[in-house]
Amino acid sequence: MMVSSEVKLMMKLLIKNKVSFAGFIIVLTFIFVGILAPFITPYPADARGWVFHMNQRLLPPSWKHPFGTDEFGRDMLSRVILGSRYSLIISVSVIGLALLIGVPIGLVAGYLGGKVGSALMRIADMFLAFPPLLLAVAMAATLGRGLRNVIISLAISWWPWYTRLMYVQTNSIKTMPYIDAAKVLGLRTPTILFKHILPNAITPVMVQAALDMGSAILEAAGLSFLGVGVKPPTPEWGLLVTEGWASINRAWWISLFPGLAILITVLGFNLMADGLREITDPRLRRLLISRGGRI
Amino acid sequence: MGVSREYLIQRTLLLFAVVLGVVIIVFIITRIIPAHPELLWAGPHATLKQIEEARKELMLDKPIYVQLYYYLINFFKGNWGVSWRTHRPVFDDIINYLPATLELVTVAFIIAIVVGIPLGVLAAIKRGSWIDAVIRVLSVTGASVPVFWLAMIAQLIFSSKLGWLPGFKRVDEIVVLETGFRKITGFILLDSLIERNWAVFIDALKHIILPSLVLSVYPMGLSARMTRALMIEVLNEQHFRASIAWGIPKRTALFKYALKNVIAPVIASLGLSFGYTLVGAYLVELIFNWPGLGYYTAMALLSYDYPAIIGSITFVAIFYTVINMIVDIIHAAIDPRVKL
Repeated sequence: MMVSSEVKLMMKLLIKNKVSFAGFIIVLTFIFVGILAPFITPYPADARGWVFHMNQRLLPPSWKHPFGTDEFGRDMLSRVILGSRYSLIISVSVIGLALLIGVPIGLVAGYLGGKVGSALMRIADMFLAFPPLLLAVAMAATLGRGLRNVIISLAISWWPWYTRLMYVQTNSIKTMPYIDAAKVLGLRTPTILFKHILPNAITPVMVQAALDMGSAILEAAGLSFLGVGVKPPTPEWGLLVTEGWASINRAWWISLFPGLAILITVLGFNLMADGLREITDPRLRRLLISRGGRI
Repeated sequence: MGVSREYLIQRTLLLFAVVLGVVIIVFIITRIIPAHPELLWAGPHATLKQIEEARKELMLDKPIYVQLYYYLINFFKGNWGVSWRTHRPVFDDIINYLPATLELVTVAFIIAIVVGIPLGVLAAIKRGSWIDAVIRVLSVTGASVPVFWLAMIAQLIFSSKLGWLPGFKRVDEIVVLETGFRKITGFILLDSLIERNWAVFIDALKHIILPSLVLSVYPMGLSARMTRALMIEVLNEQHFRASIAWGIPKRTALFKYALKNVIAPVIASLGLSFGYTLVGAYLVELIFNWPGLGYYTAMALLSYDYPAIIGSITFVAIFYTVINMIVDIIHAAIDPRVKL
């Protein structure tokens, strides 16, 4: 099948590109830690945050607390580890929700074309007219703080990207002979859309979506910093950085480590993306294949 | 050159449509989604009387299309409500805070171009070497780093610990008072140049270094990456190979012929990254107490000053749309390959 050979080629080229492969490993580690987080935190109660240790406030990094402790004496390593789970939840849900809204709209707009199609696309464009993050800030300021509202706010500002991608894909596929054949055979439009066009159009959208997870983590952190993100004491990385800000001159470690966690994770996604973008660029890909996949 | 009058008219009409769309989306978010818009509008410490006034002001007892009509009328009149934090009209506040942000973003873009493009050229020439790999990782890092965190760390190291550069505000108020500096345009660097007030100019320059460097990290990485990709393309093209074969020195060929083909699209792509940089400024300004639009919005967010939050976000969205249109037109004018 067309789809799997595309994916195979990508994986092959990804592994051959050292920098992208490093990104791939970072992403795998992040997902692994995110899933296992509740079982591997040294101090699970500190990680969840509903505790207060008066006698160990603002301790610098040590063997007992490698990332130090915060204003309330909580172990920062535990909080950063559990934070990976929140970042994973946020990024997967935001991208998933954005796909659920964006893909069907793009599919229908691309297939129908004409006035309905372009009207749908104009609506998507209006959402894209907002600079990144700001629409989510407006939504989050309206809905209030909390994990669920962060996810909704980010997804609302995210779906049009997938609508656009899906629209372009659908447009190029709908003129193919096998779609005409399906029409002639009298298949219903939803069947053609979801059984014949969607599976063949979705690969680039899914690749883009997987790579966008890093940006979702970054934007969720931005929302937290502006005070419209998750509620304390949720150990979301952006909120951890923000909480350390007030005492950064006395205790630099509180902000430093969660920030590094964001940087490394997002870097992982983006390095992977960087390699893949070169590869998904057909001109460069042809060049790569002709040179045996070396960059 | 390549821009026709029809294109300009078409783009302007499109601009109006998009601005209208943006305002309607904001209307939906602020009036239709919340169950009690008047509570948000009046703020968390509002009295019953103030809430009642907000209800009247927003005309919540009228049908939704009447609300939308008056919303649009007020919007285009510049009547954007009153911030209850500053007790001033939101629109006036925005105009007051705008120059600081524009100054910061402009300096960040200049740094991004001046440093990013040479890095990209270097990476393209040394393609596949360790220099290329380092530049690549650095440029991707620019897009991956949480900018507010970088701002905190930079401020901590270079301002609080080492004391090399000031870490707060745009200029030292004492220097301003001593030299009798007056604001003309609100762009301090520009104003002090016009007045030949070197003390203020140097002080303002010192103040802008840290925040603009932090802010330039993303566009710098982007311009390095774009330059690298485009340079590689140009280096492989026939005309470049021909010029080498013709005996033109490689350095001349690179900087005179190859780079010329690269700079316009790189700057166009930087224009498209304007939105990200603007949002970066939102986060950076809060750290550096930089009195710009981002600082204003962030303070509004922290104190639930809803009219100010929504007003400034709408303003920035429209500003961003206009900038995008200008970038498109300039791009079309300098690059005939862009399809109109």
